[in-house]
Amino acid sequence: MLKVENVTKYYGDFLAVDNLSFTVKEGEIFGLLGVNGAGKTTTFRMIMGLLEPSGGNITLDGQAISYDVTDKIGFLTEERSLLTKMTVLEQCKFYGALKGMHDKEIEDRLDYLLDKFGVIEYKNKKIKELSKGNQQKIQFITAILNKPKLLILDEPFSGLDPFNVELFKKEIIEMSKQGSMIIFSSHRMEHVELFCQKIVIMLRGKSVLEGNIKDIKEKYRQKNIFIKGDVNKQDLEKVTGVVEVIKHADELEVKIEDISYVDDVFKKIKNTKISKFVVEEPTLNEIFVNKVGEVYEK
Amino acid sequence: MRSKLNYLIGVSLKRKIKTKWFMAANILLAVAIIAVINIDSIINFFGGDFNEKTNVYIVDKTDYSYSLFEQQLIAANKALYGEASELYYELTKSDKSVDELKEMIKTNDEESDSIILEFTSSLTSPLEVTMITKDYLDYMDTGVLNTALNNTKVSLALMNSSISAEELEQIYSEVPINRIYLSDNKNSEEENMSMIMTTVFPILILPIFMLTIFLVQMVGAEVNDEKTTRGMEIIISNVSPKTHFFSKIIAANLFVLIQGVLLVLFAAIGLWIRKMLGGSSITGGIGAEVTGMLDVFMSSNIGKSLVYIVPLAIILIVFTFIAYGALAAILASMTTNTEDFQQLQTPIMIISLVGYYLSIMAGVFEGATFIKVLSYVPFISAILSPSLLVLGQIGVVDVIISIVLIILTNYILIKYGLRIYKVGILNYSSKDLWKKMFKALKN
Repeated sequence: MLKVENVTKYYGDFLAVDNLSFTVKEGEIFGLLGVNGAGKTTTFRMIMGLLEPSGGNITLDGQAISYDVTDKIGFLTEERSLLTKMTVLEQCKFYGALKGMHDKEIEDRLDYLLDKFGVIEYKNKKIKELSKGNQQKIQFITAILNKPKLLILDEPFSGLDPFNVELFKKEIIEMSKQGSMIIFSSHRMEHVELFCQKIVIMLRGKSVLEGNIKDIKEKYRQKNIFIKGDVNKQDLEKVTGVVEVIKHADELEVKIEDISYVDDVFKKIKNTKISKFVVEEPTLNEIFVNKVGEVYEK
Repeated sequence: MRSKLNYLIGVSLKRKIKTKWFMAANILLAVAIIAVINIDSIINFFGGDFNEKTNVYIVDKTDYSYSLFEQQLIAANKALYGEASELYYELTKSDKSVDELKEMIKTNDEESDSIILEFTSSLTSPLEVTMITKDYLDYMDTGVLNTALNNTKVSLALMNSSISAEELEQIYSEVPINRIYLSDNKNSEEENMSMIMTTVFPILILPIFMLTIFLVQMVGAEVNDEKTTRGMEIIISNVSPKTHFFSKIIAANLFVLIQGVLLVLFAAIGLWIRKMLGGSSITGGIGAEVTGMLDVFMSSNIGKSLVYIVPLAIILIVFTFIAYGALAAILASMTTNTEDFQQLQTPIMIISLVGYYLSIMAGVFEGATFIKVLSYVPFISAILSPSLLVLGQIGVVDVIISIVLIILTNYILIKYGLRIYKVGILNYSSKDLWKKMFKALKN
């Protein structure tokens, strides 16, 4: 289990991470979310042992972060961390050896992963000769080469087409099933929503929302009603408890303050011709934007 | 489990050596070094003659100047090239007219370097000369011929003053100089060698200067590359910055060692080819003066003192290379892009260049305190101190002081520079860079 306990990080007088705590259990996929500069990368760097926390503790399976522990961690950085003049094989041998793997072990695992990701023909090509998407695949492969106990993924889907996003998703879920802990950071909330069981939303170094996604969504008061039919937008806006009405291509999205206002909305439209009336939890994106907005306003 | 330090050193070396650039550069270096060593054979191969004598045709209208000129030319040639040297001119007293000789030089390619000297006299001068050539004369030919012609004129004037041939010979014989040195351990051979070494040093120290540049570029480019590609984050999460720092310095020093050995090997191959082409001696073909110079060198005190000069120089160079490597790594860690690193290289290059030029000019300073103090300065001491030691301008103690100072510099660079390195390699912003680095130093 990864335990981040009351971790604080100062850069001089600047507080980058403020008393952050969370745990990630085996097989769990955890989302660390936040706007740029929220402290996500600093947190990742502390978990990787690149930075020393100013306060608090980070442990993996009860052991403090050291070079023995980081051998069990896979890290995919947001920006490309590949040495582009090397070939794919050289690069993987280099990073694999740094994780304490032997050449034979690296090459066997590499062949398997290259084949799985459909890039076996690039094994002896220089990284600079690969497309952006293929470079991202190689970077992902280097991160999971050592079958990490903890995998940190910082924006793993950048530069990937939908087909390859699916490929990555499958692998991440498979690793999670095999017991790996996965920390995931992305600006794409739909990805986070699909993967993560637990999240922390960070803002200015602080955790502003944390917990199980399902619980967060349930606890979040605002709900959305999707209505398809002959309904007047202005009429709905006048209903008590309606926060906003958004017109999509063929339906209306009605945001209400809480679940108790569903009846009022339904009463307003029940005499009109409707083909859809669905109450849904808010998206993670909405929760994120609202939460971040609230804190900014404060 | 393999050592991560050794592994990083191996990867760095492979990244440098297993490149087309390294192969191409060394092929070029090998060709250049072997060609320079065998330049006379190459000239001969293309139809030229390195030792070819220059034909000098004398049209002596005075009827008495030729033999005197011949004597004076031999004397001037020896004065310039040494006692053992042979005459570089083929003198011919020509029966042909000046016009015929001119035509011959113009039309015959083999005679294109020949010189025509027409000797005449007048009431005011016992010797007047017209010198005719197809092209310009070089500096050495002009010097020898002018000396010989002036001395011939003086001889003719003295002979006209009823001075006998024996007296004339005495006048022109060399002044016996009894050389006395008030300082201990000084001798004329060493004095002559000092003059020779002033000319030879720029060639000997050039490889050290080149290797310094290779080393700085290797360390800097690698650290900068790993940093700008963010590969550094992956590397540093698996090995400590200290291990990474030392791996770069050790790899760069091993690289210059390999490159240095290759340069020596190329020179050895060049000399072996020379021996194959020139016969029994590696200096065969170059001429007696080079052989003589080598003999004098090996028998002189300098030759004998190489036994301690070479090890001292090697120790100094090794520690200086380590210091250059550490400095390059520290500076490269502070850069945020390739352009930054190129700019940061400039001061290192300038320091190295200052050392190189001071070393070339070492003979000029004649043991001044200024140059002695500079020879202690780390980074430039590696090429300056050995030069001054060979020239006898500083002693072994001074070189040992330089070694102690460069070791001290390495200690400071590693102790304090490592603090900057640790912070620098993970810093991607140039904002408040120096402030951050000073802060890292304090911490």
